[in-house]
Amino acid sequence: MTTDHDVDTMLTIGAPVPDLVRRPDPIDLFTFSAASWLLHRIHYDLPFTTDHDGHPGLLVQGPLQGTYMIQSVQWWLGPDARLRSIAYRHSSPVYAGETLTCGGTITGIDSVEETFDVELWVKTNDGTITTSGTATFAIPPEQIPTEKS
Amino acid sequence: MADPTVPATVITDEARDWATQPFDQYVTTVSRTDIARFARAIGETNAVYYDAEAGRAAGHPDVVAPAYFPYTIRMQATHLVDRADLEPDGSSSADVPPLPTNRAMAGETTIDLGVPIHAGDTITLNKRIVELYEKTGRSGTLVFVKTEFVFTNQDGEQVMREHFTRIYR
Repeated sequence: MTTDHDVDTMLTIGAPVPDLVRRPDPIDLFTFSAASWLLHRIHYDLPFTTDHDGHPGLLVQGPLQGTYMIQSVQWWLGPDARLRSIAYRHSSPVYAGETLTCGGTITGIDSVEETFDVELWVKTNDGTITTSGTATFAIPPEQIPTEKS
Repeated sequence: MADPTVPATVITDEARDWATQPFDQYVTTVSRTDIARFARAIGETNAVYYDAEAGRAAGHPDVVAPAYFPYTIRMQATHLVDRADLEPDGSSSADVPPLPTNRAMAGETTIDLGVPIHAGDTITLNKRIVELYEKTGRSGTLVFVKTEFVFTNQDGEQVMREHFTRIYR
């Protein structure tokens, strides 16, 4: 069957998730810890973090990076791109003040379930991947291809 | 899991017993302020997270919570405790295995979402430790604690299921 899909859909396999650039600073780390009641000192107590844990700076929370990956899709397609599932792991620490670029690639589209799959990553300016994973989101209604008669 | 033919060097019987402990359910009612606080912390600007009218216009009964909001509930469950129940590094004593490790970091996270959370929902959290294992590499031995968190709302609907691994060294 030949169908002629709307040309304005942005969801095609291989399409990139537009880069989202974030630069979490100590205020961002503190507000995330406060809102989550995450009390681990490595996110707000610099002398403890350097002296006890041997890090050069305050650590950006892993769940905050996970949130950035979700936002890289939802700030592109809107909150109707509801997250269905995500899995990610951290491969390198991120310190407060570092610039992070979040991006990804669409790897699958399920027109029956009306979901799409993405590979997502977060990296620093020198190209080091700090967090990476895969996720499935709902296709927002306006992105569902419509057949033209 | 670690290779079972390699004897554990760090994990003790006491730690294995600790990992089988049952956890009390944690129940909390989510306010608009709780949602706004988390939404601001992650930089969201969409009104659906702040304004009940905007939430209703988007088909919700009230403001809706960002996807990973349940994280704040599981953190409260172990950290909104007496000051004496926190470790020197700020971790919850309830989360830390009885082992000679004193530094912690985030490992793998796997999340499946169900129905959204809205302001006014009462969320019940059930949790259990599903794996406790160690791996020895060049930098020494790491201990992995994998915990399952299941969040349900007042109608018994699942809002999120998460597996989170915390790594100790």
